[in-house]
Amino acid sequence: MNNAAPFRGGWLAAGIGLLLLFPLSSPDAFFLDVFTTGFLLAAFAASWDVVGGLSGQITLGHALPFGAAAYACAVLTTLAGWPLPLAVAAAVLLAVAVGAGIGALSAPLAGPFVALLTLALGEIAHEVAVGHTFFSGTGGYAWGGEGGIPVALPWRDAPPFPSYYAALGFLCLASFGMLRFSRSGMGLILRAVAGSPVTAQASGIPIARFKRLAFAVGSGFAGAAGAGFVVHVGRATAADLSLELSFQAATFAAVGGRGTIVGPVVAALVLHVLFQGLSLHPSARVLLYALTLLVALRFFPGGVVGTARYLASRLGRREGARPPRRRGRNRNGEGTP
Amino acid sequence: MASPLSQVLLDGLFAGGAYALMAAGMALILGVVKVINLSHGAFFTLGAYVAYALAARGIGSPIAAAPLAAVIAFAFGIFLGKSFVNPVRSHPFALPVGTLACALLFEQAAQLLWGPHPLSIETGAPWIGPGGLVVRRWGVVAFLSSAALLGGLKWVLSSRPGLPLRLIAEDEEIAGSLGMDVEAIRYLTFGGACAMAAAAGALLSPSGAVTPTMGRAPLLLSLVVVIVAGMDSVEAIFLLSIGLGIFGNACAWFLSPQWSYVALLAAVCLLLSVRPAGIVVLAGRRD
Repeated sequence: MNNAAPFRGGWLAAGIGLLLLFPLSSPDAFFLDVFTTGFLLAAFAASWDVVGGLSGQITLGHALPFGAAAYACAVLTTLAGWPLPLAVAAAVLLAVAVGAGIGALSAPLAGPFVALLTLALGEIAHEVAVGHTFFSGTGGYAWGGEGGIPVALPWRDAPPFPSYYAALGFLCLASFGMLRFSRSGMGLILRAVAGSPVTAQASGIPIARFKRLAFAVGSGFAGAAGAGFVVHVGRATAADLSLELSFQAATFAAVGGRGTIVGPVVAALVLHVLFQGLSLHPSARVLLYALTLLVALRFFPGGVVGTARYLASRLGRREGARPPRRRGRNRNGEGTP
Repeated sequence: MASPLSQVLLDGLFAGGAYALMAAGMALILGVVKVINLSHGAFFTLGAYVAYALAARGIGSPIAAAPLAAVIAFAFGIFLGKSFVNPVRSHPFALPVGTLACALLFEQAAQLLWGPHPLSIETGAPWIGPGGLVVRRWGVVAFLSSAALLGGLKWVLSSRPGLPLRLIAEDEEIAGSLGMDVEAIRYLTFGGACAMAAAAGALLSPSGAVTPTMGRAPLLLSLVVVIVAGMDSVEAIFLLSIGLGIFGNACAWFLSPQWSYVALLAAVCLLLSVRPAGIVVLAGRRD
């Protein structure tokens, strides 16, 4: 069960150190912003991995809890006048509830139908968000549609440095939490459910309950990332619920290595910073994500982490330290002969 | 001016015929390749853009656009089937996510090439039928050619040339042991089914706006059709598609086009919660 942490602490600590140092090198404000959203997206990708990697429930509607929390933050602060911390807490709770609901609906389904159902649920939420308009407190103008709803923030313009460090701190905390969860007893059971539902059921595991649990936990973290995102951006838009966003999370997980938590985080950071930093047209960006994903699925089924482990085991560099070296590769690259 | 109801019925009938072509392609992929192809809608969109590009050059006829779209989609479909779908067929993760990636790839490519704005195709004045009923020419062409193609498909499947398809759908190991090239038949079928989706897109393109994401609703419609009608009967697929075409048109007319999409999405959710086994062919597979 050691495949949760691929590079062990050392490399990870060095990476965090570099990220902590980065703002001090007085970079462009644009790059600080790219990194800040990257941290939130990375946490979102890791939360996809709890559902889609760890427990094998391939969700294509993971933007739903993310966007639900984002919209809840916006509606509660702007329309209902709640204070921001209370709204964020309520938004995360809502995301957990949404996740439990999706989990309950999809628990009886197998394989590709989970993907189909979650895709449909996410698209319904997106269409509703596009089609629904809210009236402002004074009734003067309408919010909603593609433009979305603004969030009432206690500050006017968030300064870039605190946002950067807050997002980085959130990413570290959330990843640590998810990593601990994936290595806990419950995480172990979820891996068993992902590996073979029939075997898990025969061992007396209530698999429907654990599938719901995976969705609830993953969606809770996705909701937290969504709340953080909306607080950073200042506005909840329909793009927060889009199929493209769900798809991005699956891409990060596939490229990084499903079921490893750390892999998707690293992949999200690298790909987001790369594609966003190049200032490409949004369409070209999604296109590049799709291409990256197809190449990863076709040629590196274990993702970066799986491939790195495989190469390490081939080269025999880390001899004898942990015998089940190839297990991660096999688990992530299903269907290997 | 005819009553809106009869107009909706007629246009729904026309659209439903082409949807049936697309759903039959989906059923063919499910039966023979045994995968859910989430990029099926992208091929529909591809067909529509081919029709638009031709119309913009003065060849505004679905009869010219459909074969061209079908050939282009066949080529892409074979590439996709041979280089991606066949090798990852047994990966429960790679297949839905990968075919969705293909769909998004094409949507974004279309957006880069033609822009996000809805485009429309001019196909000349319609006939005015009895009681002021507007009979659109593309609709007649779409319905008749879809019906003819589906009839042809039914004949092929029930005759000698369709035997490998039926055998692979039933038992691929036996088909392989009889010397059939199962892999080749799989990607050829995939390409053929993609061609059917593109032809449907080209035939239906004048009925509404051509947009990069226009294929999503027909994709869901095909999924609903194959979940409900199964894959064995071309007639059942045809009738159900027409029913859904009329329903979708009614939704679009009386509410808004967006709601017919939401209704289809809700139908997929509802069907999957009522029938957790989903599509029978895939339910038997362990993954």
